[in-house]
Amino acid sequence: MISFPILSAIVFIPLFGGLMALACAKNDVICRWIAIAATLLDLLLVLLLFFLEPIPNISGGWIQVEDFPWIQSMGIRFTLALDGISLVLILLTSILGVLVVLVSWNGINRFVKIFHFFLLAIQTGVLGVFLATDLFVFFLFWELQSVPMFFIIGIWGHEQRIYASVKFALFSIAGSLLMMIAIISLYLVHASQTGEYTFSFLKLMNTSLSWHAEILLFSSFILSFIIKVPLVPVHTWLPDAHTEAPTAGSVILAGLLLKTGVYALIRFGFPLFPYAAQFFTPFLVLLGLAGIFYAGWIALVQEDLKRLVAYSSIAHMGLIIVGIGAWNITTLSGSVLQMINHGITTSALFIMTGMLDERLHTRKLSDLGGLWKTVPIWSGFFLFFAIASIGLPGLNNFVGEILILIGTFKAMPWTALAGFSGLLWTVVYVMKMLQCSLWGKDKPRPGVSDLSLREFAILAPLCLGVFWLGLHPGPALGIIEAAVTAMLDGNIHQAFSRAGSP
Amino acid sequence: MNTVLFLLLAFPLTGALILALTGRFLSQRAVQTVACASVIAAFILALTAFLLSGHSAQTVNLGLWFAAGSFHVDIDLYYDSLSALMTLIVTFVSSLVHIYSTAYMRAEGDNVRYFCFLNLFVFAMLVIATAGNLVFIYLGWEIVGLCSYSLIGFWYSKPGTADAGRKAFIATRLADVAFGTAIALCWTDLNQLSVAGINDGASSLSSGTAAMIGFLLLFAAIGKSAQLPLSIWLPDAMAGPTPVSALIHAATMVTAGVYLLMRFFPVIQCSQTVLLAISLVGVMTVCFGAFSALVQRDIKRILAYSTISQVGYMFLALGAQDLAGSMFHLITHAFFKALLFLGAGCIIKALHEEHDIFRMSGLRKRLPLMFWLFMAGTLSLGAFPLTGGFFSKDRILLSVFLQPDIHFRILWVIASIAAMITPLYAFRMFFVIFYGKPEADSNKNAPIQDLMTITLWPLAILSIFAGFINFPLNWGGSLWLDGFLQTIPGAAAETHPSSQLEWTMQAGFALMTLTMVILAWVLYSREQESDELSGTPMTEAFQRFFLNGFYLDHFYQERIVIPYRNLSVFLWKKVDEGLIDDGLDRKAVFFMKLAERLRLWTTGQISDYVSFLVAGFVMILGCLTALWWFK
Repeated sequence: MISFPILSAIVFIPLFGGLMALACAKNDVICRWIAIAATLLDLLLVLLLFFLEPIPNISGGWIQVEDFPWIQSMGIRFTLALDGISLVLILLTSILGVLVVLVSWNGINRFVKIFHFFLLAIQTGVLGVFLATDLFVFFLFWELQSVPMFFIIGIWGHEQRIYASVKFALFSIAGSLLMMIAIISLYLVHASQTGEYTFSFLKLMNTSLSWHAEILLFSSFILSFIIKVPLVPVHTWLPDAHTEAPTAGSVILAGLLLKTGVYALIRFGFPLFPYAAQFFTPFLVLLGLAGIFYAGWIALVQEDLKRLVAYSSIAHMGLIIVGIGAWNITTLSGSVLQMINHGITTSALFIMTGMLDERLHTRKLSDLGGLWKTVPIWSGFFLFFAIASIGLPGLNNFVGEILILIGTFKAMPWTALAGFSGLLWTVVYVMKMLQCSLWGKDKPRPGVSDLSLREFAILAPLCLGVFWLGLHPGPALGIIEAAVTAMLDGNIHQAFSRAGSP
Repeated sequence: MNTVLFLLLAFPLTGALILALTGRFLSQRAVQTVACASVIAAFILALTAFLLSGHSAQTVNLGLWFAAGSFHVDIDLYYDSLSALMTLIVTFVSSLVHIYSTAYMRAEGDNVRYFCFLNLFVFAMLVIATAGNLVFIYLGWEIVGLCSYSLIGFWYSKPGTADAGRKAFIATRLADVAFGTAIALCWTDLNQLSVAGINDGASSLSSGTAAMIGFLLLFAAIGKSAQLPLSIWLPDAMAGPTPVSALIHAATMVTAGVYLLMRFFPVIQCSQTVLLAISLVGVMTVCFGAFSALVQRDIKRILAYSTISQVGYMFLALGAQDLAGSMFHLITHAFFKALLFLGAGCIIKALHEEHDIFRMSGLRKRLPLMFWLFMAGTLSLGAFPLTGGFFSKDRILLSVFLQPDIHFRILWVIASIAAMITPLYAFRMFFVIFYGKPEADSNKNAPIQDLMTITLWPLAILSIFAGFINFPLNWGGSLWLDGFLQTIPGAAAETHPSSQLEWTMQAGFALMTLTMVILAWVLYSREQESDELSGTPMTEAFQRFFLNGFYLDHFYQERIVIPYRNLSVFLWKKVDEGLIDDGLDRKAVFFMKLAERLRLWTTGQISDYVSFLVAGFVMILGCLTALWWFK
């Protein structure tokens, strides 16, 4: 615990940087540098957090809590709290935050200032979601991440951008509308029971709800979350959004926005409504499994490289949800770690697809082939991240997958078995992706250059992350595990045992 | 000792890392030197470890890999006599193949990628050999698969090569799903993953669980070792460079499956059903490989099918609970098959990439040195009396014969018949290549580099004399290998056969082989354009059947690959874009249409708005009146 409101600073620095970029930047280059400075400063602050006691000493597993009164008449407080799960996720956010600015360095040439403002605003939204514990504040940040995304896809996207952005917006709004109603209902029910008007989720957790009310409220929350994750069958916004978004947009979507759905599920969905959660878990697991099969199969026949990666994203997120459904220390740690892993590898694949698009002006698999000859360094990185995403042991995804699957096996052997088969579907489509892009007859591609120094600087840290989390995930897992243990030992565990389940 | 084992793994890995990171800036010579040096260093270390190690197993813990909850995985090594032998073979054959490759690859581009993956392969193979727990073995297991994939598709711009690599990776990955499940099952039921722990706990497992783990490991092994029904990937894998075929797809990686089963032999021994299944898979594959090899024309495909067949013998031996016999054959096979492949590589280079044996005739005069070297390999493969292959195969047949179970008698009969086919196809290949009329201008062959032939000598000598490591008792031998493997859990002292039985068996086996060699001489030593066996429609049908590997490939293509793709297309086009997305789109369009209609009312004319106002007013009044009236 430190007295300086470091979490608030972390949350608002990107937004502030974005406003600066909008207001002060004389030209585009300065604007880009301001964005870089803001995101780097943010990353620095997040790294400082690791010098705090990473294994928490205050109750509830929190490492740092900041609490300010805001709209007192309605009991709204600006509360941010950090535990191990949020810590690793905001680290991922701030790293990807720097990278997306670098990624857009050459690709974005229209309305550069506004673009960077939106880019940085999303980061504030995502960071806020990962840290807020007041449901009202959480909801504000939840919306803050969707709105700029709508514009990023709609203005800087590819050919079908308007369709994709409207679709994205409609799905997001449909979800969050229901969630808003549910939050207000919960707030009113809690007030009528205790007389205290509050949005603090730690207090709302103690609200006693009738079975029907709990099911209803949980469904409203969960719908919003699973649209973000996304689970089959509410996933159809994602392939379009990913394909049409500019590279930075795809990276933020895959690396961060999808994670907020899972995070909200762990942080709010399950703890607030333990009975309903228990009731719905089999369905969630089933949908997760369905995603592994369904998206894995569909990915195989995609013709657009970006769309293929987008579908693979859905399959990976399915496995994460399975791990959350199994709800024990091993699988939850695995799922949180897998969020980071997926954030690294899938972002890398999207970034690399973007680099290819900048060079060849095509992402169609039938136009690629023989790239190993044309761009060997690019190809080496691409091969590396592709095999990381199929879960090669020693690289990051393997650790998360094996933790999820082995932890699940104890509780639900058949589910785990189905999950194991997912390893195969992944290989099938990744092999096809490599086949169509790297191998095959090389085509003459005059004037196509290999990676620039900037691009190398983007990929190298991701590469190190893949190795670090694959070979020595101990420190990261330790932080996650401490938070997960605290969460399971705390209220959730009690609530679950009340419900008659381990 | 700990340092030696650590360095054993570290050297090839460092080699691979150096090549991956700095290879672009190094000259071809430097690349080759780094690769060879790291592997030869590994061989020396393996030899040191072999000499230093006592009979007891040693464990080395290099630290924690990852842990969450109660689940934790260490990076630890387990070095016993089994690992000692395996590391020796792997590093020995790898060293030779690396040296051979320096000459073989000199004219090819992209040496960095080649040697990087080759070094990585050696590292991963050593991990499989020495890893102390299932997950760490799995690491090696998957990395060898990756290296195999990359090296099969090394000449990626040639049509079909990348496909072959993909096929190999997917087929072995299918089996790895079983491996993963086996890990989960071991953890759930035994609460540990270490090799020693699992083997010690095997007796406490319920028979059902033990059988399940056994079957899962068997399935994992089937994939890696290209046994039926997953044997389809190996013949295609021949698209890779020939040294790669020699090292990965003959001498070492394909025997990793056998090695895995040896590692967990106590678990497998728990269930009689698993043992029978292993030998059944083995015998069926032995026949499959032998008959397919009999009619192939491509020299590398003959060798590939023969590999499938020979690895089948190792499975058969394991099923007959003869671990030492299996290891014996693994060792001799590594020598003679590496020799044959490397020899084939020389011949193919000399003949300007000619693979068809029927277009090679009369090479005895043109390549006299290759004639003798290749003969050593062929003799051993064909189990010619007194060669290494003879003793190891005889040993396996003897163990199968000694099994009390009646099933094994039947398997023994089938395996013996297949053992007759082996010399037939081996010498068919040999006679067709080296005898017959030499082609007119014998000067057109490209020169074979000395370095390539030099590496074949040690292999040739070992192919012939490897029988001495386990010389049978009736010859006054001491069964050194049996003694060395005595400490391996599960390698129980086999029931010693009577000396009379041994003599009878060996004599019969030798006689059979000699007959087959003579038959092959009669059939194939003359000059011919194609296969003699073809004649009647019946034999032609059989020939096509064998040539296509029993149409197994065709079957998979029709029954699995195409339906899988169709299902994918169906899900994408009909379900995802059709049912789900189109449904939503239609709703959106409906609302848009509705909005368009409503928009028409906004005409902007005051008179219209006044009339709407009046109409609404009338309607409300009407409703009120109606309510009042009916009340």
